[in-house]
Amino acid sequence: MKLAPPPAPIRHNGHAHAAKLAVPSAEFTHFDFHTVTWQADGFGFDATTGEFFTASPTALLVMQSLSEKLNRQQILERITSTFEVARTTAERDLESFLAELAHLGLTKDSN
Amino acid sequence: MNSSPIIAVTGLHRGENPQPGSAVIRSLRRVYPELRIIGLVYDSLESGLFSEEDAPDAAFTMSYPGAGVEAFWQRLDAIREIERFDVLIPCLDAEMGPLVDSPEKLRERGIHVCLPTAASFQCRDKSKLSELCERTHCRTPQTIAVNDVNSLHQAAATLGGNVFVKGRYYEAKRALTPAAREAAYWHMIEQWGAPVLVQENVEGEEYNVIGLGDGRGNILGSCSMRKMLRTASGKGFGGMVVRDPQLDAIAQSLIAELRWNGPFELEFVKPDGPRGEYCLIEINPRFPAWCDFPSTLNCNLPAAALELALGWQPREPLRRPMPGKFFIRHAIDMTGDIRDLAALTTTGQLIRQAHEPITQPAFAHNA
Repeated sequence: MKLAPPPAPIRHNGHAHAAKLAVPSAEFTHFDFHTVTWQADGFGFDATTGEFFTASPTALLVMQSLSEKLNRQQILERITSTFEVARTTAERDLESFLAELAHLGLTKDSN
Repeated sequence: MNSSPIIAVTGLHRGENPQPGSAVIRSLRRVYPELRIIGLVYDSLESGLFSEEDAPDAAFTMSYPGAGVEAFWQRLDAIREIERFDVLIPCLDAEMGPLVDSPEKLRERGIHVCLPTAASFQCRDKSKLSELCERTHCRTPQTIAVNDVNSLHQAAATLGGNVFVKGRYYEAKRALTPAAREAAYWHMIEQWGAPVLVQENVEGEEYNVIGLGDGRGNILGSCSMRKMLRTASGKGFGGMVVRDPQLDAIAQSLIAELRWNGPFELEFVKPDGPRGEYCLIEINPRFPAWCDFPSTLNCNLPAAALELALGWQPREPLRRPMPGKFFIRHAIDMTGDIRDLAALTTTGQLIRQAHEPITQPAFAHNA
């Protein structure tokens, strides 16, 4: 599974940093999205197919938000409050990522 | 029967296409470390003979399947004059036919087995798979049995050209061109005899289910895995445990329909994409080479098969392996001794015992 390029994560001291997710996401250890169980470190395992994946912090945030049944606007809010990213950029990347999830049969076309 | 049963196991070569026998021995010894196990081999270089961990206590050479069924039984009788084994666990496809066809010969010799009936064995034959799948509503690639080269090409054309050419008992070669198909056809004829099977190629991930049937339609224990690594010939060299209710339901339906008794392996391909459905490629009527992996996860199917054959109460319950556990095959070098090779080659038998090391020849000091 290829994920759309995520918005740049917040940087501290010039180093790329896997940003902590916005409340309530910050506390999770794992969550289920479709048939994949995702860990907080971005590793996902599908027990029905035996496949495993990695996801960027942004992709993880989006999938967790979807698993919590948030809508597009709420997900966008969560992305922009978590990552240092222009709203238009976040909106474009979110659309692209959701389209890919729909193409893979992991979500419905509209959210 | 011996006070402590003696077990005979075949298929001890773990080469490029590993045979299951050594994995069966290893699993049996996990539960019954003191069990006496003898290996029945077709070649004195079967690698399992030289393993420190899962070698049999003794080994005997068998007559080749090509020598005929009578020679097979005669050799079995001759071996039992020396080592009167009580249970036979056959691990090679070509051995299964003569055994399931003659349960009375096994009974009169007092040999216990855990095998399907001849009827259920026939129903899972590669050439009859589509009928079985129709009855169980399971998808399977279109397969055509052929006996000559003209039929081979016609079958390939019918199936769109991109096909697998498969041996009656074992082996499959993907063949895209007429020349490749013919080469594969003659190879299969030479190795396994007629008919040769031409099978539509279904691309996707491969899933296997190993299990043990009780002969009444139930599965006593099973483990499903996705092949993570494949050799050039398509053999699984690594696998991840999966748990998919859809796969479980298909397996249950097939085993119930067959009323399968004994070990089995179901091979599936699932085309990529959300709409991909499991497609049954074949049913192996024996343990596969990865059968010791579930044993490490408290699902010891070879030990359960032994208990079933002997009518014993299971010593350990069969648990369902957890998804996320996986195996990776690791090829290592075995050390053999020329005297073992000599014994097997000249007398057809090898009773394992510790050897004194061969001393260095005197001339080596002068070199």
